[in-house]
Amino acid sequence: MIKFDSVTYVYPTGARALSDVSVEVGKGELVALMGENGAGKTTFIKHLNGLLKPTSGRVYVDGKDTRTLSVAQLSRIVGVVFQNAEDMFFLPTVEEEVAFSLRNLGFSEDVVQKRIDWALKFMELEVYKKRSPFLLSGGEKKRLALAIILAWNPQVIAMDEPTVGQDSMQKEKLKEMIKQLSLQGRTVIISTHDVEFVAELRPRVILMSRGKIVADGDADTILTDGELLRSCSILMPQVAATMSRLTDLGFNAKVISVEEAVRSIVKRLMEIEHTRRA
Amino acid sequence: MSILEGLKFYAGDTAIHKLDPRVKFLVSMLMLLMVVMYTEAWILVTLMVVQAAMAYAAKVVRRWLKTIKGSIPLAVLVFGLNAIFFITTGTHATLQEVLYHSATLAYRLVLFLSSFSIFFLTTTPEEIGLTLTSWRIPYPYTFAFISAIRFTPIIAQELRDIMDAQRSRGIELDKGGPLQRAKKLVPILVPLLANALRRAYELAEAMEVKCFGATKNRTSLRELKMRSRDYAALLVSLTLFSLAMYSRLFLL
Repeated sequence: MIKFDSVTYVYPTGARALSDVSVEVGKGELVALMGENGAGKTTFIKHLNGLLKPTSGRVYVDGKDTRTLSVAQLSRIVGVVFQNAEDMFFLPTVEEEVAFSLRNLGFSEDVVQKRIDWALKFMELEVYKKRSPFLLSGGEKKRLALAIILAWNPQVIAMDEPTVGQDSMQKEKLKEMIKQLSLQGRTVIISTHDVEFVAELRPRVILMSRGKIVADGDADTILTDGELLRSCSILMPQVAATMSRLTDLGFNAKVISVEEAVRSIVKRLMEIEHTRRA
Repeated sequence: MSILEGLKFYAGDTAIHKLDPRVKFLVSMLMLLMVVMYTEAWILVTLMVVQAAMAYAAKVVRRWLKTIKGSIPLAVLVFGLNAIFFITTGTHATLQEVLYHSATLAYRLVLFLSSFSIFFLTTTPEEIGLTLTSWRIPYPYTFAFISAIRFTPIIAQELRDIMDAQRSRGIELDKGGPLQRAKKLVPILVPLLANALRRAYELAEAMEVKCFGATKNRTSLRELKMRSRDYAALLVSLTLFSLAMYSRLFLL
């Protein structure tokens, strides 16, 4: 679905944000781009819908070279939600805000109405249909930004730092929505340094540092490698850190989510109990 | 956007950076006066050479060139408007003269901007504030002025972010006729204004928390003090300016 072929990107200021990056993301994959501030995550995301074109190398979206397509054409395939949701809002109501993008992309009026209803319902915003986007809470603004993008049903959804400024409940909601989108077969790419959030989603993790990909694999492997994470200024998820200290007692160290940790602990305790009785 | 880059301060440790901001401001003002006084091409070229030498000494040549590049559209506009004015009013006899005088006027604008660019590139916002305070301008006005300078690059970055966000929604900013393009500015300007207002409120709160205006007599950690090198620079620039004045009045 997405292919980066030896992509290097140098900003006009001379800062090299991506350095010979090659990676492929398949259809329906759930990917978390992780890394410290300035690792190149946002630059990576901006290449997905052609906001940035590689200085050298190629980016292919659905087999097409992004240099040959406009941002508007690519946006139909890849919907990007930026960190600051408010950068999008300029219309009096939530409903009009969603309709604006759909009309831009040339959808007919009856489709526009259906899509608005669907997107706002999916994001649990239908009660705010007639409200000003500026009067929504931080979490709701973020969900509206996502609803705007989801409305035209892009095959790929990319989110830049979706958890910044969100409280735990909002994060939980966001997590469930991302899981649903992934189950629906959409390719979802999130850039974040929120390890706890990623640990619960258990996606494929692409770890970046100084414009390069330093690791690429499943969350269970990467998020339990303390040394690797530290080299990218990231700490292990709390569950993984706890479990790694209990390895001497025979507990499984390669665990990142709470549920799995509970299961693993119960299993081990039962084993101990069983040996004691025997 | 590159014209804004030329107004942003970059830390440096050169003789120009260390010069008293009041002297630097005076040099820029003298340059401005020279630009207004003379229309002769060779003098204007000399002024540009002097500026280039200053930019080189301050190690800001690249950023200074950016200001010049950024001022070109404005210069083209001035050139066009003057040429139209000269032709319609018949101020100059030949087309060659019209072109020459329009070009000099446009060039003077570039010179003026580039001269102040060197001042802004090498003077910290704090120093600009101190300069204004030393001229007894009330601090709230000084603060407003410094904040405007300081927030310009931030707003420029925000503008880029907003444009990215809106382009990702399928808006094609560079397509369509002039009227359509003007309409497309609304999705850019509304979020920009909303963000600016929010930032203004936040800044006001932050200032109140830090007791802005609590005492009437403000003191400053650093105070501007003229040193021998500042007097030397002042002397050199005033001498050169006097020579130029003299030649303008009595020789040319």
